Amino acid sequence: MSPRVRRIVRNALALALLGLASLLAPGCATTHAYQREHLADPIMSFDAEARGNARMMKMLEAREGSTGGIGGAGGGCACK
Amino acid sequence: MQVTRRAWGPIALLAGACVAGAPRGAAADTADPATFSTLFRLFTDSENVTVRSAVGDYVWPIRSGVNLDVHWNNERVAIPGISAPPGSQEAVDAITTASRPIAGNPYQEYVKVRNEMQGDLSLPHGSASYYLSREVDYVAHQVGGNVHRDFDDQQLDVSVGSSVGWDDIMPLANGTEQVTGGTKTTLHWNAVATRVLSPSTMLRWGVEYNVVNGMQNNPYREVYAGGAYEPERLPDHRERRDTFLRLNQYLPNRSSLKFNYRLYNDDWGITSHELGSSLSQYVTHGVSATYEYRYYTQTHATFYSNDYVDETGIDGYLTGDYRLNDLSSHLFGASLRLDFQQLAAAHRWLGRSEVWLNAQRYFNSNNYSANILETGLDFHFQ
Repeated sequence: MSPRVRRIVRNALALALLGLASLLAPGCATTHAYQREHLADPIMSFDAEARGNARMMKMLEAREGSTGGIGGAGGGCACK
Repeated sequence: MQVTRRAWGPIALLAGACVAGAPRGAAADTADPATFSTLFRLFTDSENVTVRSAVGDYVWPIRSGVNLDVHWNNERVAIPGISAPPGSQEAVDAITTASRPIAGNPYQEYVKVRNEMQGDLSLPHGSASYYLSREVDYVAHQVGGNVHRDFDDQQLDVSVGSSVGWDDIMPLANGTEQVTGGTKTTLHWNAVATRVLSPSTMLRWGVEYNVVNGMQNNPYREVYAGGAYEPERLPDHRERRDTFLRLNQYLPNRSSLKFNYRLYNDDWGITSHELGSSLSQYVTHGVSATYEYRYYTQTHATFYSNDYVDETGIDGYLTGDYRLNDLSSHLFGASLRLDFQQLAAAHRWLGRSEVWLNAQRYFNSNNYSANILETGLDFHFQ
C-alpha cells in the first residue's frame, strides 16, 4: 500500500470514527419532542435541501471528477 | 425528436393521474397537503454552453406517512459552434476534440433536449424510486430504495439504501465516422445516520460506495497523442467511495449555520475534498435569505496527462477530460425565499405559496466559470 493510499485510508477511518462517536454515543440529555421546535424549522432541515442538493450534484458531476455526498446515486448522463 | 415525444407520454399520464387524484389525496387523512412545485433554471458558462431546465414536482400524500412524489424535468442544452476560422489549425483541433457530435455544420450551434422523470414512493420506514432520463443519444434508468429506522428515543435515525442504474449510449454519427456506442451499469450502496445532538444541533454522517462497469469515455472526444488524434480510452471499471459529515446549528437570532465535509476516493486515482458552509437567516416574518460557499479540490487520475508521448497513452488509457486532472473550484451562492403562507396567510391563493430565487457563481482552476440562476414556486393544495 503506497503512502498516499495509507494517508487516505487513515483520514477516512478518522472521519468514520469521529462520525460514529458523535452519532452512536448517547447524548448528555435526551432532546424531547417539545424541545425540537428549532430543529423542525425549514432553515434547519436536511431533507428540505434534498432536491437542491441533487440538482447541484448533477451539475458538479459534469465539471468535477467525484460524486456523492447526498446519500444517493445520481442518474442520467452529465448532459454536456 | 422522436425520443423526446416518447418520453412525454408517461410523464403526461403520471402528471394527469396525480392532478386527478389531488382533491381525494388532499381530503384524505393526511398530515401534509399535496404540493406542486415548479422550477425554472438557467445555466450559462464561460464556454457559452447554455442549459435551460423546466422542472415540476408533484407530491401526493396518499395517506398519513405515505407520499408519491412525481418529478419531471425538460432540459435544453445548447453547445455553440466552433468559433475558429474555417480551415485553420484551431478549427481542426476544435472539431476533432469536440465533446459533441460533428454532424452537418460544426460552425452551427448544437442543441439537444433531455427529458427526465422520477417517481418516489415514500413509506413510514423506507422509500422506493424509479428514474428515467432520455436524450437522442443517451438513455438512463435507475431503480432504488432505502429503509430507515429510529433509535434511542428518536435521537438517531439510520438509513441504508441501494440502487442499480443501467445506461444505453447510442452516439450519433460524428461527421463521416460512425461512433461505437455501449452500455454502462452503476451499483450504489449508502448508509446514512442522523443524530439530534441538542435542541439546536443536528449531525448527519454517511458513507457511499459505487461500482461502475461499462463504457465511461465520451464517444465524441478524441485525444491528441504522439502526433495523431486517437479516440478517448478509459477503463471500463471504476469503484467510487466517499464519506461525508453535515452539521446544522440553529442560532438564537433566527438563523442557522450549516457545515459539510466530504472525502472521496476512487480506483482511478482521484482523491477529493469538499468543504461547504451556508448561513440562513430570517430577514423578517416569512422571508429568509441564505448565503453559501463551497470549496473543492481533487488530485488527477493516474492515467491523465496533458501530453501523451504516443498512442498507447498511460497503462493503455488516453483522456482529454479535464475532470480527471488536478482541479480546485469555488462556488458562491445567495438565495431568497418568500413564504406567503406567513406573509399573506388570509389570501386564497397567495396564502398557499412560496416563491424563491437562487443565484450561484462557480469557477475552477481550468479557467472555467458558470452562472446559475434558479427561480421556483411551491404551491400547497390545502
